[in-house]
Amino acid sequence: MRRLIENFIRSVINDNVDKAITRAIRDQYTENLFEMIPATKKVGLTNLMEIVMRANQGTPVSRPLGSPIHLSPWEKILFNPVHLFRFPTPESVGISTSITIGHRARKPMTISIPIMIAAMSFGGALSKSAKIALAKAATAVGTATNTGEAGLLEEERDAAHLLIGQYNRGGWMNTSDKYKRLDAIEIQLGQGAQGSAPQRTSAKNIGEDFREVYGLREGEDALIHSRLPGVNTKDDFIQLVRRLKDETGIPIGLKIAATHHLEKELQIAVEAEVDFVTVDGAEGGTHGGAPTLQDDVGLPTLFAIARANEFLARKKVIRDISLLATGGLVTPGQMLKAIALGADGVYIGTAAIMALVSEQMVKAVPFEPPTSLVVYTGKMTDQLDIDKAAMNLVRYLNACVLEMEQVAITLGKTAITDIAKSDLCTIDPFVAKATGLQLGYVAPEHQGRFFEETKPLFQPLEGQAEDQRSSIHH
Amino acid sequence: MHQDLKNILSYMQHELNRIETMAGTLSTIEREHYNKLTNFEHRELVDIAVEEQNAARQLGTMKQMCLTMTQQIEGVKKAIDRNELGESAARAETH
Repeated sequence: MRRLIENFIRSVINDNVDKAITRAIRDQYTENLFEMIPATKKVGLTNLMEIVMRANQGTPVSRPLGSPIHLSPWEKILFNPVHLFRFPTPESVGISTSITIGHRARKPMTISIPIMIAAMSFGGALSKSAKIALAKAATAVGTATNTGEAGLLEEERDAAHLLIGQYNRGGWMNTSDKYKRLDAIEIQLGQGAQGSAPQRTSAKNIGEDFREVYGLREGEDALIHSRLPGVNTKDDFIQLVRRLKDETGIPIGLKIAATHHLEKELQIAVEAEVDFVTVDGAEGGTHGGAPTLQDDVGLPTLFAIARANEFLARKKVIRDISLLATGGLVTPGQMLKAIALGADGVYIGTAAIMALVSEQMVKAVPFEPPTSLVVYTGKMTDQLDIDKAAMNLVRYLNACVLEMEQVAITLGKTAITDIAKSDLCTIDPFVAKATGLQLGYVAPEHQGRFFEETKPLFQPLEGQAEDQRSSIHH
Repeated sequence: MHQDLKNILSYMQHELNRIETMAGTLSTIEREHYNKLTNFEHRELVDIAVEEQNAARQLGTMKQMCLTMTQQIEGVKKAIDRNELGESAARAETH
């Protein structure tokens, strides 16, 4: 009987596939269903679906989790293991993983691992249970979590030993009764996935708990302005930083979207004497944002870190101002490379959420996306087991840091903070030129000779740059 | 008065050094526990091992914090010796 059914199914499939292939061959290409394959390949599946969504909605579509484009060439950078000229670290030696943020603040913040949980707001992005799970996991591993652009969520404050709060463009954390209860303040002027564009959460997506934390009236939208209220000049910003430092004594930082104007922005942060700077690369995630802001605005994380580190070193404030990097860091290798390039610590958002949901995704798939367990407007947030989610993230963070420690051992280092640019090489001449890393293709003593001999290859590009400069000036 | 303050600071420095050493020793023990516990293919034991590893790192952090505080206390003691503490307090009062 089973064989009979199998033969029948095979026969039906065979007939239909034959018909489909024959039709694909004989139909005119312009009337052929096969045209969808090259057409989709031409515009890309994601772009095709976003065209259709825009056509349906008539408003910018809200893509979750950030740009799918990989702009930072992390895979072009490699660590340099040691064997004899310098010995690897003996395995019995513990690798120090702690970092201090804001050395010159009255109350610096020391965390046990160089990875923190990125700014993802309650309500604007995540559910209350997801925020509590993130805070619990951060506390278990001795690191900090970030409020995102929100008010102060009591449950998050209770669960997090170390809480970084965003003094934000919505104004929801900007009163002393709230920011004085934080362990560090990050003045949020932009983010990798959105630049400094305004954002709006419609009142229809705002529940009672959301309104309470944000101090909103019923029916009122939650608005993130493009500018921080009250900061319209460079001096306003400097005054704000000084006031927050005097009032709290905790590290005060600036968060911006990485941009080609990076050095000009950082110059003002240096003048304001911030304790840390958070640079969010173009690959940064978000709960949902316009694809154009995600794909076409900003600067890749890798180059933002290298440039920020070089600028802070040039200004001789590298010890005074901690550099925190974020934006598309998804593997421990990428996180450690960010640290080696000059970041003191990193934030992870998307990877943390994926680790948080991991084993529980079976509750959602195949009929709902796994994010429906954690986003504020998700249909299944009540089904997230907070302790299980927190434990998954703890395990993930532990695994990440252990992998980093393994690299530190093979580099002959005893602390993650000791890993530097000299522990890296690159296999891309442009990355070498841009970041100051040595080129792995040639021996250290021949670096100059390589670039001298290949100069003609770079000259056409230099000529183009010169043309561009002169066209701007005329 | 200054001598009393210096004695208190020396005591704090001494105790911080002890805490630093204890944290370092405990951190090493916790790390060894992690290595031993992960030899067992048992889910709950691995979770305990992860907790031990986290504790080891936090003890390492405590060691680092103790070291920083000891250095700061040393700075304060030197400032007392140079009589800078009294001067800066007097300056603060005039402003």
